[in-house]
Amino acid sequence: MIDAFASWMLQFGALSWLGTTPATILAMSLVAVAIFIFVALNALVLVYVERKVSAFMQVRLGPMRVGPMGTLQTVADALKLLLKEDIIPRFADPILFRVGPWIILLASFVAFAAVPFSPGWVPADMSIGLFYVVSISSVVVIGIVMSGWASNNKWSLYGAMRSAAQIVSYEIPVGLSLLAAVAVVGTLNLQEIIAAQAGVGNLFHWIPIPFPNWYIFHSPFLFLAGCIYLIAATAEVNRTPFDIPESESELVAGFMTEYSGIRWALFFLSEYANAAVVALLTAIVFLGGWQSPFADLAGARFGMISLTVLALIWTIFVKYKVKRLSIYPIGTILALTVIAWLFPAFAIWLATPGLVWIAIKGGVVIFLLMWFRWTFPRLRVDQLMYLSWKVLLPIALINLAGVAVWMWLTGAISLVG
Amino acid sequence: MGYFKNIGDSITTLITGMKVTMGYFVRAKEHVTLQYPDEKWPNPERNIGVGELDTYNVIRSKLHVDIDDCIGCKKCERACPVNCITIDTLKTDKGEDIGTTKLGTQKRLLVTRFTIDMTECMYCDLCTFPCPEECIYMTPDYRFERGDNKEVQVTNVERWRDRNNLIYEYSTVPKTEVDRRLQIIADAEAVKAAALEKARVAAEASATATPKPAENREITPGSGEEQAHE
Repeated sequence: MIDAFASWMLQFGALSWLGTTPATILAMSLVAVAIFIFVALNALVLVYVERKVSAFMQVRLGPMRVGPMGTLQTVADALKLLLKEDIIPRFADPILFRVGPWIILLASFVAFAAVPFSPGWVPADMSIGLFYVVSISSVVVIGIVMSGWASNNKWSLYGAMRSAAQIVSYEIPVGLSLLAAVAVVGTLNLQEIIAAQAGVGNLFHWIPIPFPNWYIFHSPFLFLAGCIYLIAATAEVNRTPFDIPESESELVAGFMTEYSGIRWALFFLSEYANAAVVALLTAIVFLGGWQSPFADLAGARFGMISLTVLALIWTIFVKYKVKRLSIYPIGTILALTVIAWLFPAFAIWLATPGLVWIAIKGGVVIFLLMWFRWTFPRLRVDQLMYLSWKVLLPIALINLAGVAVWMWLTGAISLVG
Repeated sequence: MGYFKNIGDSITTLITGMKVTMGYFVRAKEHVTLQYPDEKWPNPERNIGVGELDTYNVIRSKLHVDIDDCIGCKKCERACPVNCITIDTLKTDKGEDIGTTKLGTQKRLLVTRFTIDMTECMYCDLCTFPCPEECIYMTPDYRFERGDNKEVQVTNVERWRDRNNLIYEYSTVPKTEVDRRLQIIADAEAVKAAALEKARVAAEASATATPKPAENREITPGSGEEQAHE
């Protein structure tokens, strides 16, 4: 993508005096700036969405005053954070205290370099993309320990130590669950992983229901791997059921206790960037990335059928529950069924650009993370370790073996080959 | 097998919890509480069980005085079983017109203080019946909100009791006016006292010397009062 961008820039008369190398560097900088803007806007939007989601789940309305439906609330909050006094405790380590937030932000920001947003749209199309994202995300722990130690505060240090233990523990289930998908596709390149999930096939290879060829529908083992990845990744980015590093009720704010103003805003930015990376990686590895599920005729038929099923579920579970059964859902179902079987090409237009699809899938995963966060109580430290080492790790290991067996059964690999 | 039962229990309970939150999420608008400053419940109406429906069909929630109609007779203060009403009055000057009530009665007393302590009030409604001008009554306002931050002139004990700002001041006479009238009265008192003192000194002097009744008549208390009425 960088090279293509650079050569595109060199086509213009005003820019053609640039050599290839400066043009490449310029393209890299522009892409980095674009990703940084994406990260910042992502945090801005996700904070608002998270506040609204949490409010609705807790029977509140959330921010309602600044702007229509409170949409400008996070802008106001960000401005407030920028204007706040930057306090550094007298006995804090002056250098590490300043460096820590930047390392955390950098680690979560650099992870976007390997994320494919669309066909051909990946800042660095490297052959070890998945490995790169997973490993660069764990650099965050260095920044967390750094800021926790430098704060010279017992809560900060506790938070940092817990975070280190947690991230190191949950790296293993994350790696093993991603390895299950990698075992199926046979590459670490994220673009190739996505390309392998194109089209529509049978659910779990044998059940004759048309489902997209996403890895979460590839086999029961990969479905389980997807669940394990989501749980472990939630823990790895310190979101709420696993947020013991910053548990408000025990440690004041964990490793960010002593931070204020812009440095604290950096923590916030990296928190949501991390959530976005996890959501995007889930979408890429298990949900088909930028692949549209409705890209061809079979996909369109699948889309119509799923709409029919959704309408049926809506009719049965929602309308019956409120005892307001009307004729409209039944009519909708009939119409959708007719469309699905007679005019599947009607829905071809749903094969929209990859950017939209990866945004939808990532958004669904982020909503799932928010749903977890505002439903589940926080785990205790020992429960956290129990979950990682005694539940997720054995299941992920057995799961990996199960994937191999499944591939042998479906003929993807053979023992004699 | 406790291990697998534990995992199964975890999954089922987590799904139960997620169902609950999703149930609230999809129809949050049906469950949220009243957005209080923007929307308010209407004042509830109900029969309190005394008298006719149409006359007593409100909750007794807050005592209110139409201070323009108050003549300062203090009947409500005496009727109150818990002494939550405090009234101070000042006499007006002769010939001064401070208005009439809605029933046509000429007001004679200036009500310089009319405080109702709603922390003490027990909503018995006994104060409303003695009122000759029908100006003190119970209102159905249950919210007890105050838009103003008016400083209420109360004693320290009352201030301590009034942590919730529930002492209501109804008098509209400004403090400067009250001070002016009190000053005039104090001046008149001082003149009267000076006259009495002079008379006493003169009497003591007359006890030793010959009494002079003509001088005593010149200095009368009445002249002091006339000065005060100016």
